Amino acid sequence: MKFTRLLSLFVSLSAGVWLLNAQGPGGFGAGGGKGKGKAGPPPAIDFSGWWTGNMQEDGAERGAGPDLVDYGGVPINEAARLWALSYDTSRLTSRFHQCDGYVAPYSVRAIGNTRVWEERDPRLQTLIAIHWYSQTFEGHRVFWMDGRPHPPVYAPHTFMGFSTGTFVGNALRVETTHLKQGWLRRNGLPESDQTTLTEFFTRRGEHITYTSVIKDPVFLSEPWIKTTDFYRQPTDPGAWLFPCEDSEQVTGRAPDQVPNYLFGTHPYAEEYAKKNNLTLLGALGGAETLYAEFEAKVTTATPAEARARMLPAPGPSQTSRAVDPDPHDGEIHVLPVRDGVYMLVGDGANIVVQVGDEGAFVVDTGAGQLTDKVLAAIQRLSPKPIQFIANTNFHPAYTGGNEKLKKAGSDPSVVGTFLSLSTPGAGSTASIIAHENVVGRMNGSMGTPATSPESWPIDTYLADRLRRFHNGDSVELFYVPNASTDGDSLVHFRRADVIVAGDVFNTTQYPFIDVANGGSVQGEIDALNAILARTVFQHSGEGGTYIVPGRGYLSDEHEVVEYRDMMAIIRDRVKAMIAGGASLQQVKTAKITADYDTRFGANSGAWTTEKFVEAVYTSLKTPASKKQ
Amino acid sequence: MKRITACLSGALVLALAQTPMWGHHSFSGTYREDAPPEEIRGTLRSFNVRNPHSFVQVEDEKLKDKDGNPVRWAIEWGAAGQLAQQGVNSGSLKVGDKVVVTGSPGRNPEDHRLRMRAITRPSDGWKWPVGNQTFN
Repeated sequence: MKFTRLLSLFVSLSAGVWLLNAQGPGGFGAGGGKGKGKAGPPPAIDFSGWWTGNMQEDGAERGAGPDLVDYGGVPINEAARLWALSYDTSRLTSRFHQCDGYVAPYSVRAIGNTRVWEERDPRLQTLIAIHWYSQTFEGHRVFWMDGRPHPPVYAPHTFMGFSTGTFVGNALRVETTHLKQGWLRRNGLPESDQTTLTEFFTRRGEHITYTSVIKDPVFLSEPWIKTTDFYRQPTDPGAWLFPCEDSEQVTGRAPDQVPNYLFGTHPYAEEYAKKNNLTLLGALGGAETLYAEFEAKVTTATPAEARARMLPAPGPSQTSRAVDPDPHDGEIHVLPVRDGVYMLVGDGANIVVQVGDEGAFVVDTGAGQLTDKVLAAIQRLSPKPIQFIANTNFHPAYTGGNEKLKKAGSDPSVVGTFLSLSTPGAGSTASIIAHENVVGRMNGSMGTPATSPESWPIDTYLADRLRRFHNGDSVELFYVPNASTDGDSLVHFRRADVIVAGDVFNTTQYPFIDVANGGSVQGEIDALNAILARTVFQHSGEGGTYIVPGRGYLSDEHEVVEYRDMMAIIRDRVKAMIAGGASLQQVKTAKITADYDTRFGANSGAWTTEKFVEAVYTSLKTPASKKQ
Repeated sequence: MKRITACLSGALVLALAQTPMWGHHSFSGTYREDAPPEEIRGTLRSFNVRNPHSFVQVEDEKLKDKDGNPVRWAIEWGAAGQLAQQGVNSGSLKVGDKVVVTGSPGRNPEDHRLRMRAITRPSDGWKWPVGNQTFN
């Protein structure tokens, strides 16, 4: 496509969206509005039927996929470009990526047919939801039309996201949040889990004009506006099912090996531009490639200018643009997970509570600032006393409430046993369980400041695992050595299939690799793989086993595998620099996390990007096992 | 010319409506589709009929890895539904079959990966594609 035609296309699309948006107040933000000067809501529009997307300028997405490093016309930022230039398509052969679904903003424009139907209240005939089902990965979107609110920030994300709809003028307007990380284009251009999507569906007889506005604070510098068209199918196209099962594809790859290209080494970076006689600068994309002014630059840009964009720009590191999932309102928020397991948010690290016929089983106790409210929340879930407390690690954000919660509970299972003989008072309080090194770190014997003896675990294990059958579930603590610390446990509620990850995994920042207390980057990667060794997805690479992160939103294996990939890639970059003789300062200056900083980076606070990079460097230079 | 292009586009849209194509990844991003196809000969070790794409694993009869074991090729094929429409199912090939495969090479040479272009079983002459069969 000629560049001027591309420009005029985008200008016309932008104008179209502006016109649509002008029909209702509120801009592209959440909400929506009624038609100006009209009484009552606009009439509902029926989209029911079978629909197929017209093959237009989006042919590459609907067919065999776009070329590598074809990013032109997409308002990506530096982080997205670097992320994509690091992406080796071989990554998709990993068992944990083979069934990844398409995210909603991509799914609508991708291959396959769509079926739409209404869900109405059988008695009142009010519209509850509009279902938009795509053949591609059986993508089933639900546009809630009944005015329900979006879930809290700490609720799970899905490939389809959570959508609410309103009729605005002659269009259905849909707002979507809670999306997973996915593709802007499936040549490696990423779309983050912080994306919000605004869509307009306008029916024109047997056609739907579809306009989407993608806002991604992590990977886009301005909204990306796209349109496409659907035409109605008179008969059922069939073939609606597409079950995906992962399998062995490329065999013999180590579990911690994630195919990627180091910055500036993408072997096919210029292939697309050369093949199509385009300027490399244009192929590398960015908001400027959307505007007419860029045409002048096309003729003057040098190859060196383009190649400079394949490396992190000098200057200070970017910081996270993600929404903080902690409400910070002084309250404890309870999120049901599954089968008597709940996630409590609001007091430092996430707390997990399992309830049933026996006393509550609590995993981690938060920072200790809101423990009375934590206790009240637990007592609302179960009238029985807390029986067990498991600590995934010794950090204060995870153990701050130990003493109070312990004293509020009791453990009848140890009364009269060896534990009550060796530990005075055992049984009259809840029993705290953890890896042995957690005790060592809390009682001061391993070089860290001692905490109150009442907060120390009394039931410990040294290696492998510790087991309890409690409240009808098999609960296992697995030791993951030298990850965040030298005493990390994963806690798996097997029947509920919920894994509590502690400081090993979070959705808010780079992992806290506490090198001084036995943490290491390789142990962190191994621990993330230990989680993945126990997960089973439900459908198209999502759902199934839930993972409660130390901080952040309730996750599944998709979030963990993206986090694992990131850690392996960052490790590879630092390793390569160390092999080349780089000093710590040189590694820091190279900005080796530039493609992840807009999602996880921090330049202030307790855990900055600089500290994280230093931890990676230090633990690779001096492996953890040598320090003990 | 424009008329021909329009006709072809229309035909493609109709084909899409009836026979969905499933591109989990970008094929041009995954394979060097402009490069000359590679031919390998070997023994079939597994045939997984799956979505989004089926995979055939073939042990090369000549090429060895650094430990002296036969190199195993991962050959990507069509989705389960696409292959079924083309008469290929899980019984079409069995472990131990001697096969000849031609495919587009993967972009990551370490993977020993091909995009299936043709497969033949010389013992009985079974082959794919027949006619203009292909997959996406």
